[in-house]
Amino acid sequence: MISAAGRLAIVLLAVCAAGCARSRSEDAQLAGGPAYFGDVTPPEHDVFTFNLGAEPESFDPALATGQPDGRVCRLMFEGLTQPDPRTLETRPAQAYRWDVSADGLTYTFHLRPGLTWTDGHPVTAEDFRWSWIRVLRPETGSRYANLLGSVVNATAFTNGELTDERQVGIAAPDDSTLVVRLAAPTAYFLDLTQFYTLLPVPRWTIEQHGNRWTQPANVVSNGPFVLRTWRQNDRFEFTKNPRFWNAAAVRLAGVVGLSLDDQNAATNLYKAGVIDWQPGGYLPSTFIPSLRRYADFVHSGYQGVYFYGFNVTRKPLDNLWVRRALSYAIDRDAIATDLLKKSRDPWGNMTPTGFPGYQHPEPVRFDPELARQYLARGGFPGGRGFPKLSILISTSEDLRRMAEAVQAMWKRELGIDVTITNQEWGSYMQATKSLQFDIVSRSWIGDYLDPNTFLSCFVTGDGNNRTGWSNPGYDQRLRAAAAELEPARRLATLSEAEAILLDESPVAPIYHMATNELIKPYVRGLYPTPLNVHPLTYLWIDRGAPAGATASHQVR
Amino acid sequence: MSATALPPADAVTVGSVAHRPRSLWSDAMRRLRRNRAAVAALIVLVVISALSVLAPFLPWLPDPTAQDLRLGVAPPSPAHWFGTDELGRDLLARVVYGGRISLLIGLVATFVSLVIGVSYGAIAGYRGGRIDEAMMRLVDLLYSLPYIFLVILLLVFFSRSLIMLFVALGLVQWLTMARIVRGQVLSLKQQTFVEAARALGASDRRIVFLHIVPNTLGPVIVYTTLTVPAIILQEAFLSFLGLGVQPPDASWGTLVAEGARTIALFPWLVAFPGLALSLTLLCFNFLGDGLRDALDPQDRGGVS
Amino acid sequence: MTRFLIRRLLTIVPTLWAIATLTFFMLRWAPGGPFLAERDIPEGVRAQLEHTYGLDRPLGEQYLTFLGRAVRFDFGPSYKYPARQVREIIAGALPVSLELGALALLVALLIGVPIGVVAAVRHNRAEDHAAMGLALAGVSIPNFVLGPLLVLVFSLGLFVLPPALWRGPESRILPVLTLSTAYVAYIARLTRAGMLEVLRQDFVRTARAKGLPEHQVVMRHAMRLGILPVVSYLGPAAARILMGSVVVESVFQIPGLGRYLVNAAFNRDYTLVMGGVLFYAAFLLILNLMVDVAYTWLDPRVELA
Repeated sequence: MISAAGRLAIVLLAVCAAGCARSRSEDAQLAGGPAYFGDVTPPEHDVFTFNLGAEPESFDPALATGQPDGRVCRLMFEGLTQPDPRTLETRPAQAYRWDVSADGLTYTFHLRPGLTWTDGHPVTAEDFRWSWIRVLRPETGSRYANLLGSVVNATAFTNGELTDERQVGIAAPDDSTLVVRLAAPTAYFLDLTQFYTLLPVPRWTIEQHGNRWTQPANVVSNGPFVLRTWRQNDRFEFTKNPRFWNAAAVRLAGVVGLSLDDQNAATNLYKAGVIDWQPGGYLPSTFIPSLRRYADFVHSGYQGVYFYGFNVTRKPLDNLWVRRALSYAIDRDAIATDLLKKSRDPWGNMTPTGFPGYQHPEPVRFDPELARQYLARGGFPGGRGFPKLSILISTSEDLRRMAEAVQAMWKRELGIDVTITNQEWGSYMQATKSLQFDIVSRSWIGDYLDPNTFLSCFVTGDGNNRTGWSNPGYDQRLRAAAAELEPARRLATLSEAEAILLDESPVAPIYHMATNELIKPYVRGLYPTPLNVHPLTYLWIDRGAPAGATASHQVR
Repeated sequence: MSATALPPADAVTVGSVAHRPRSLWSDAMRRLRRNRAAVAALIVLVVISALSVLAPFLPWLPDPTAQDLRLGVAPPSPAHWFGTDELGRDLLARVVYGGRISLLIGLVATFVSLVIGVSYGAIAGYRGGRIDEAMMRLVDLLYSLPYIFLVILLLVFFSRSLIMLFVALGLVQWLTMARIVRGQVLSLKQQTFVEAARALGASDRRIVFLHIVPNTLGPVIVYTTLTVPAIILQEAFLSFLGLGVQPPDASWGTLVAEGARTIALFPWLVAFPGLALSLTLLCFNFLGDGLRDALDPQDRGGVS
Repeated sequence: MTRFLIRRLLTIVPTLWAIATLTFFMLRWAPGGPFLAERDIPEGVRAQLEHTYGLDRPLGEQYLTFLGRAVRFDFGPSYKYPARQVREIIAGALPVSLELGALALLVALLIGVPIGVVAAVRHNRAEDHAAMGLALAGVSIPNFVLGPLLVLVFSLGLFVLPPALWRGPESRILPVLTLSTAYVAYIARLTRAGMLEVLRQDFVRTARAKGLPEHQVVMRHAMRLGILPVVSYLGPAAARILMGSVVVESVFQIPGLGRYLVNAAFNRDYTLVMGGVLFYAAFLLILNLMVDVAYTWLDPRVELA
């Protein structure tokens, strides 16, 4: 008994001791210059290590979906264009220049001379043509085939109505010229070419190895780095590609990406100096208030909206007033400011900020009185008779806390009970896509810098709609906007569409996403961007930095 | 014993002192009472159970679901003895209500595994022969499955309701129970009282459940007492994976799993539920060990 | 001995077959099958995928193909990561789990057995209570509390050990310690129980009567039989521990088998799940066999059934 109680006392003491140790090490940092979170010794070799966040499902560009996949693809392959690391503007990459016809329907890309794959084959326009057609092929099963949706005959080809690939508007008249013909002008088409789905892939390797072509032993790539090792659920190791056309400007000797699925472990690794970058989205929000004071903590806006989606094919969510009631009963301020400790901003629109010239329509807001009236009009005055619905979330501490907060808000303001269902990512994705839910927690991140990327998913029958909602007026406006060449009119039409979306409330926006990341002071060339896209090609390690800072473990 | 009182009618006189016959049970109870650790553990468990059961009626206990988003996480203070969690909920209340759920899960799931295990083992042991062999083969087979893995599959594919959780957890432990009971039944089967019952014409079912099973109670009770903490721990593990009880209900397992993630910043979130959990498990284990020592006729340790 | 081995191996095969069948049908009939729920996959693509995985064949045929392949340990590609074979994934993660598990088991034995022996020899005295109290405490603290606690103290507080990952000898220490704690407790208790049993027996009294020093009695004569309960416990324990502990692998981000298999269950990665279950079962059965053989070697009185 004594020993057992003693053991428990030891546990308590250890916890307290650790707590004291922590505050001691933090105090030490404030002694000299700006404080940094953890160890700031630069790595011995010019190798940049970062947290991939999860094991990529696939790093075949045509099949990649999600940040982890995208980051790996961009290290290994380079496309026609690349984003500027700071502004995300389209910059030349494998194509050194391009021409756009006056009617906006024909894009001609000119490839640099002397481009090669890692096995010595030259990179030709035909490689790009074949890769893009591959994305459009139905058998490939690419999730982002719709990126090329505005290309002549592309949609027909993907649907299987058309089988002759030569009729699709992508052609390679010679080795260094790629000509793309669009069916309708698309203002952001150039931005789309930055996307990882449109990276080129080596045809002969794929034909030889089938779906094992991405194994390190087989893979052939054209990007700044070469994949050396891949250990599943552990790490990816890349070394500099000497055949890369701009190898002279690549200053890193290698890159290591770790597949860490535990945010706390990842943060601990950052603190211990094992990883140099903890990207946005992987920091537990409970840590953020304590991290704000460190100089290596970076907070910036990000083109993404977090929202709840309603399954309008299920009662009573098919009722407009019910949906409005639910949306207006969410206290977005409390969630963003109190629960999330101001790490995000409350938001009532479905399009984020950052679109010059775009006027956001009237946002949804927290108005409990109005919400109660709506609910009454929906047929459930005071919440009586309202069925028990369920909020579906994927496994995450933050999501669960938010769901619990919303659950309490709806109970308090509307008098209704909801349950929370928690599923891991794979099941959650399946349930979302097949409409097996009542209310679902979702977020949408822009694929390119234009409001269309947020609004096009809610068109009738779009694969990313996932609410069952359909409104002909909405669809019509989006079609009109796509065809509209005059920018101001186009944005105004999009704004009208968003107004319809908010009015009918198949979705309830909650907060505007922001990146909260940790970047070691010796890392240069890495900037927070609105799309959370970070080209790592021209990063470098500055051994002189940080001046005057003391690593926490050097001072006792 | 008072010299003037008559010894009870069934007393046996050995020498000059009359002894009451010592049944296995009173023997065991005496030994248990002498095991101070086990007694203390029992008292602690009774207190914890009382707290859990009476929780809704305790006036000074705050509502565990009342959120205070503005306050957020706060260390222990006079207003909140155990501090608050990220949603501003009082941790003391959460721990007490968590105990309700953990103990409920522990007891119900244990009961499930008890019922299945005892019936299975008793039938196998009593029937003997081929049926016994077949039934035990099945047990061996099930033993070689990675059980927790299958429990996860069960919960992933089917619902995550509380009922499912009881079933899933109960299924994990019944195998050992079945084996223990079968072993006991096998040795009891040969005894005379069984033959007597059979001679009197009692049906098999009656014999098994009215005569044999009660005599296996010793090891069964011990194992049951040791199963409860194992199940509570399993539930905690499932909570760690996100498969335990669903919000806003929270068991100790949920609280500990959530708190352990932020141990570097808010140690009280894991310390208090963790202490409650560990203390309860410890007490069950002590009690179980004490019972085992008390009921094991061979272990006369200390009595020379 | 050989007859025993052969007979045992003959029972292992039908057991594995039964498990394989059980898992196969359970997974095929589970709700939310692989591609059934995905509605936005174009028909052509779905048909293609079903054909690749053989899902368009009649159930019986699927079953037979599955069995045929399973014998060769070929479970096909993982559903979730189609570029990798299940066999590869298991083979890649296994050495990590084996190392972690073996080290943990070794530590558990090295600490647990002496504790148990001391507790038995000093039965009912202070050392006994202390040792058993310690052991019980070890069982009462869940891994996912102990792990982060150790990380907090040794890694983030004192900076002497890495907080995660499986690189370099120092990174082994915390995960192994965390994993072995519960097993130390069980092994200590089992050793104590076994030693108590043995120390009461006649041959021990004879040895003592012969005037042998106590530590010789304990170490040379009693222990051989006293650790028998530990040996029989080791079989299933080794299987469980060697197949990876999910918690430890999660907390320390170790690419071991436990994490893979649990994620496979979550991801409804059918092929990986089946491969994992069969592998675990085979592993366990073989370990049990080895344990039984070791048992006879330790206790010559026991006859192999």
